[in-house]
Amino acid sequence: MKCLSDAKQSAVLLTQRQRWLSLFFCFSLSFLFFSFSSLAQTTVSGKVTSGDSALAGVTVQVKGTSNATATDVQGKFTINAAANATLVFSSVNFAQKEVAVDGKTTINVQLNALDLNLSEVVVVGYNTQKKVTLTGSVSVVKGADLVKSPQVNVSNSFAGRITGMIVNNRSGEPGYDGSSILIRGLATTNNNEVLIVVDGVPGQIGGLERLNPNDIESISVLKDASAAIYGNRAANGVILITTKRGKSGKPSINASFNQGFTSPTRLPKMADAATLATIFNEVAYYKNPTLGMNQTYSAAEIQKFADGSDPLNYPNTDWAETSLKKTALQNQANISVAGGSDNVRYYVSSSMLNQDGLYKNGATKYKQYSFRSNIDANVTKDLKVSLYLSGRQEDRQYPTTSAGNIFRSIYRAFPMINAFYPTNGLPSYGIEGSNPAVMGTDIGGVAKNPIQVFNGILKGAYNIAAVKGLSVDGFLAIDKSWNFNKSFSKPYTLYNYDKNTNTYKPTTVGGSNNLATLSEGQGNRTQTVSNIKVNYQTNFGKHNILAFVGYEQSQIKTDTFGAYRENFPTTLTPDISQGGTSASDSKTYGASLSFTRKSYIGKISYNYDEKYLVDFNMRADGSSIFPKSKRYGYFPSASVGWRISQESFFEVPFINSLKLRASYGLLGNDNVRPFQYMNNLTFNNQVVLGSTIVPGIDLTKLANPIITWEESKKTDIALEATFLNHFNLEFIYFRQKRSNILAPRNASIANVTGIVNPWNASTLVPDENIGKVNSNGFEATLGYNNRKGDFSYGISGNITYAKSKIVFIDEPSGKPDYQRETGRPMNTYLLYNAIGIFRSADDLAKYPHLSPADAGDLIFEDINKDGQITANDQVRTKYGNIPEIMYGILLNGSYKNFDMNIVFAGQSHVSQVVIPEAGTVGNFYSSWADNRWSPANPGGSYPRVATRTSSSVNGNSYASTFWLNNASFLRLKNIELGYNLTGSLLAKTRMQSLRVYLNAFNVFTITKVKDYDPEGNNYSGQFYPQQRIVNVGVNVGL
Amino acid sequence: MKKHFFNHILIVAGLLSAASCKKDFLDVQATDRLPEQEVLNDSTLFEAFVTNRYIGVRLIDKEAQDPAPVGFGRAFEYAMWSSLTDESIYNNNDNTWFIQQGLLAPENTGIAGTFWGRSYRSIREVNYALANLPVVKMSAQHKTRLRAELQFIRAFRYHDIIRNYGGAILMGDKVYYLTDNLQDDNLFKRSSIKESLDYVYTQLDSAAADLPTDYDGSWATGRATKGAALALKSRLALYAASPLYEGAGTWANAVTAAQAVISMNKYGLFSGGYRNLFLDANNSEAIFVRLYMKNANHTHLEIANGPNGYGGWGGNVPLQNLVDDYQMADGSKFDWTNSTHSANPYTNRDPRFYATILYNGASYRGNTIETFTPGGKDSPDGPDKWNASLTGYYLKKFMNDAYPLQNPWGNAGFQPWYYFRYAEILLNFAEASNEANGADVVPAGSTLSARTAVNMIRTRAGMPDLPAGMSVSAMRDAIRYERRVELAFEEHRFYDVRRWKIADVTENKPAGGIIITKSGSTLTYTTKEALEKRSFSAKMYWLPIPRNEIQASNNKITQNKGYTQ
Repeated sequence: MKCLSDAKQSAVLLTQRQRWLSLFFCFSLSFLFFSFSSLAQTTVSGKVTSGDSALAGVTVQVKGTSNATATDVQGKFTINAAANATLVFSSVNFAQKEVAVDGKTTINVQLNALDLNLSEVVVVGYNTQKKVTLTGSVSVVKGADLVKSPQVNVSNSFAGRITGMIVNNRSGEPGYDGSSILIRGLATTNNNEVLIVVDGVPGQIGGLERLNPNDIESISVLKDASAAIYGNRAANGVILITTKRGKSGKPSINASFNQGFTSPTRLPKMADAATLATIFNEVAYYKNPTLGMNQTYSAAEIQKFADGSDPLNYPNTDWAETSLKKTALQNQANISVAGGSDNVRYYVSSSMLNQDGLYKNGATKYKQYSFRSNIDANVTKDLKVSLYLSGRQEDRQYPTTSAGNIFRSIYRAFPMINAFYPTNGLPSYGIEGSNPAVMGTDIGGVAKNPIQVFNGILKGAYNIAAVKGLSVDGFLAIDKSWNFNKSFSKPYTLYNYDKNTNTYKPTTVGGSNNLATLSEGQGNRTQTVSNIKVNYQTNFGKHNILAFVGYEQSQIKTDTFGAYRENFPTTLTPDISQGGTSASDSKTYGASLSFTRKSYIGKISYNYDEKYLVDFNMRADGSSIFPKSKRYGYFPSASVGWRISQESFFEVPFINSLKLRASYGLLGNDNVRPFQYMNNLTFNNQVVLGSTIVPGIDLTKLANPIITWEESKKTDIALEATFLNHFNLEFIYFRQKRSNILAPRNASIANVTGIVNPWNASTLVPDENIGKVNSNGFEATLGYNNRKGDFSYGISGNITYAKSKIVFIDEPSGKPDYQRETGRPMNTYLLYNAIGIFRSADDLAKYPHLSPADAGDLIFEDINKDGQITANDQVRTKYGNIPEIMYGILLNGSYKNFDMNIVFAGQSHVSQVVIPEAGTVGNFYSSWADNRWSPANPGGSYPRVATRTSSSVNGNSYASTFWLNNASFLRLKNIELGYNLTGSLLAKTRMQSLRVYLNAFNVFTITKVKDYDPEGNNYSGQFYPQQRIVNVGVNVGL
Repeated sequence: MKKHFFNHILIVAGLLSAASCKKDFLDVQATDRLPEQEVLNDSTLFEAFVTNRYIGVRLIDKEAQDPAPVGFGRAFEYAMWSSLTDESIYNNNDNTWFIQQGLLAPENTGIAGTFWGRSYRSIREVNYALANLPVVKMSAQHKTRLRAELQFIRAFRYHDIIRNYGGAILMGDKVYYLTDNLQDDNLFKRSSIKESLDYVYTQLDSAAADLPTDYDGSWATGRATKGAALALKSRLALYAASPLYEGAGTWANAVTAAQAVISMNKYGLFSGGYRNLFLDANNSEAIFVRLYMKNANHTHLEIANGPNGYGGWGGNVPLQNLVDDYQMADGSKFDWTNSTHSANPYTNRDPRFYATILYNGASYRGNTIETFTPGGKDSPDGPDKWNASLTGYYLKKFMNDAYPLQNPWGNAGFQPWYYFRYAEILLNFAEASNEANGADVVPAGSTLSARTAVNMIRTRAGMPDLPAGMSVSAMRDAIRYERRVELAFEEHRFYDVRRWKIADVTENKPAGGIIITKSGSTLTYTTKEALEKRSFSAKMYWLPIPRNEIQASNNKITQNKGYTQ
């Protein structure tokens, strides 16, 4: 651990390669430190093998006792056991096996590697299927892999692991640290959100991010047409989550504890006081050159900033250092009990999570408590009932200022201002009354946002004994969430030092009118889903058939209300009843929304001898989002598979298995605002007549009476193989055609029609089924697993390439072709092409330029060669901020009792524009400040500075490729090193198992991006940074 | 037991299907929005739709960030319209400097790109209301009033289009729907300025005939009146007669239009002081105003424009160009070459100077403004030096010292905005009458000459009367001075220098500021350039129609001259 953090601290000085080496060195040292051999006694002995190789480190346990040992280098073991005992053989990468002793003294065992496990079952839509008979593109992640990451948010554990999934973590703020997930990239200009199904409940409230990863048995990702079984919500792919359930047998108790240390992956280095003071002088100089270079600060003053001789009047404040801790803590504890009898089985668990924010003395805290109880009961031979209950409390607490604003202030605040005056410790006025060193604390009050989520599912399955293979099942699921927020904003005092009078002038900020304000609200959400399904399964000869038909309906209701009150006479009563008395001191709001869906589902799955595989899916979906005449959609899909290696004619010795498969289907997307089929008129009360605000109504949405879901036609062609005993390969080519994409016409309609959309709000124009996007790409995975003596190891690489092409998007008819989005990938930028910096009058004469351009300004390319720089010179970038390529490298290895697991994740073909809010309104990244063009530095690689970059020709006014970063990166996303205690040492602890581990998240990143984390997508770089986490954990089985 | 469970499922399924027979499970009622029919069936709801037409849609960032959206024009925003003229610059830029520097282009309109879209959206909404008015159940008399009110609002929107872009595209009563051909050539045909004005005049005549003259219990301040309609017509008639409008109207018409307001004998000049006029609109000078109050407030002017020494952000800082134009209290010109003037430039000036501009030495919030250096607290030597005025002046007009400057959120921004006040009408009259009849002639139907009309305003301001016998040209200059000073920061200067076609002079002058150096107790004044490269070219007499609009019309809308199509 120390090694790792040392490596981390010195990372600034090391190259990436050196850093990697030093990590490796630490790892090797740890091996030496922990290594020792285990011993055991004798009665039963034997050897454990897999194929021809001996297996070391296999746990051999006398079933039902704590008596256990592990195999040695030769795979050999000896253990005391009674003649009627059963031995349990287990190892991470192999299927567990039980062998009765039956009085034998020698027991040799063959274990099957999990990858080759032919009976492995995968969860797919509405049922499960043997992996070998799958005809769709389904990725599976085991819960056991998810818990190898110290990340507390499940969505952050996918990067690099799952082909076809584009994952980007945009912020690390506790409570809002999830990743955006796209399956096969952007495929629609509408909502690209993936459907989450938990234990069979589509769109379960509470989603995926906050589930306890310890409760997750497996996650299946439906990427192709096989998702069509989820109908009009399936087009963006489906993630199926299955939680753990009990098995009959002695209760197994599992407990774990993790202590993590988090720190920002990256913070931009900002200019220091002397540099920024010089920059301010330059800004003034450019405005009025006749007044010289020291209009704002004299050379003597700048010297004082540099030498620190007068810290009261000439400080040099590092605002990030003053406002943020080096590391914050997080910890997680989890306990579960699973077991049961043949008729009743249970899995119950409970977990707790604490996360601290980065601010010094910060108010930010995230706490989560969750429980789960999954009970299955065989009521009779034919009737099975299951009850899944789970719930959690998510306690979020923040300062009353948002993280975005606090980080904005950190990057804006000038180093020439003290955060706290060195004379008396009083907080300064910061930047315009925002002092980030206190904004993160509770000085201005706190905003609490507790959310409770409850999910209950009652499932029943009845086997109709009269007809063999016929059964009925169904479920009723009720989800509820209660989202409460209460933000009490208190006034507090900041000080301005006046050196003329040597006084500290107090100024009150926070609250309103120098008094406290309170806003408080509640949002409740309920989803009820009921489902009933009739299943039939049969086989005759080598024909295997599985079929079902089902009906499902769901309803979602949301209610929100809230109140605001100000002018609190005191800050001691943060309750809504205790505020100011004037009528205008109080405000209220509230709204409710409901929508419903009705679905008919059917599937037929047929295979011959598990060799020829055919699947048909069908779903008819009705949705209240659409008008009566356009409500129902029909979503069929078909897929086929051929396991060539099962054919008798197939005799390729080095190929162990080979399967070809293909799928095609129609899927839908209904993820748009409801009620767009009618004209929406809404109250908007802002007109004052006489002395009152009168009621006012606006027409906020024009009707689209024929609005309906968008459609996706997906095709997949894939090959799966295992070869040379150790390799596995999957290659998928996919193609997707989206049509009827729901999008508002907000570009082609001239304003003169009066159909004008507001800025930054829902459009007046309704969504219409107009867009078309094609996308295609491939996914490839190549893995290798082997063991050599005590070493067992695996390496696997995966890559996803997904490229979209807009076929139709609403664009103005007069737009130049080279600026059109049509025919190009989605989400690209339109920018001026910066080709350099004007160095001299000669340069200015050489290139067409904007009329006030001067030396130090960016040169924009005159794309259309008309001799002037106009909007027609903007060009589309090749890439947007969603990567086209995402790849992962997974390494795992175990040696004796040690195991190690490494995930690298990378992205490529991706760009991000970041234009910092710099000028006399905010500090500069030092990369800019130190390399700026100035009369003193005419060779500078960055343009000259201005009052506001946001309205500068070198900044947002003429946003250019100068600010476009190649956001490609390769990052060590996750690493875990574990040690499993075995043999007599374990026996002494009286535990079934004991594992200690060290893991880390976002360890290092190789990227060209200089100033911020390349996963960020904030246009001005002002966001709560992504987290690096180093964590130690222990896991015990009782 | 097993039968029981199975039965249960069947019962549930049965209930579900039974329920779906009665009312489709998929029929869901909206609760947070109204269907159109409800609004048209209920006269109160319909009127709520009509009154909201006084405000407009938000189209860009940093526009109407506070609760109340923009009405007509721009009015109170962080960067005010004055900061595109020789009245002020906006200290924090916010896409105003490049306009001052002559970079305004169809693709880069900054704060000057919203009149087109906002006006046409409002025109459609008005047309929608007019089209549905006949079916709404209310008294015929009230319907007539609402129709007149809607016509007035529509005319005001066209005024925003005409004075910024010239010839408008006239929509008549047509309401375009998504199902219409939105690429129809008729949609993109610009009328001439004269055709546009003639249409607006007929609308205003009709509105003036039906609108009430006075506010009462059923018609509150803030709504259109006969006076508002006539005032708007007066302004347009004056513009139409001006050089830029190329003969679209005559000065005689402009005299008539202004006289129509004067003849109402309803309005007068406020006698409570020029400065107080802008803090409260409850006076007889107000013809048509936008009102604000708590929870429907505009920008917090005091912090936005206040001096850095008080925690203000500088904001719209007056230019030396304007400061220099204020006459001496005796009516003579201020002159830097006059040593008495240059030693004490802020002494003995037109009283309106003191009500409009915060200068070094002015008293403010119980203190004194210090823009001198070294050490002045409202200069770059003060706190938050980046908020120190670039010109050395701060805006005083509109500022209400009773509102909090620091931490004012929600407790400021209640000042009224005058769309029309009587002083403007008198100046309209004076200008038109001077041009048509000369300075001293009282035209038929009137009791005022150009000179007496101007003198009413000068008298109220505390300035000496203009003498009789001035030439048309001298009187023209006097009136131009009066408009510059009396109507400063009220969104007149931008349009006045354009219609007079003097912008190529006034807007090409460097943006001036002052450096005040303190040495002992002596102050020396040096003028400086506050914003570099101020420039104006002929194309800028009209705003460019935004590029998106031209493109959306497939280049069928004719762009204003001089800008890239």
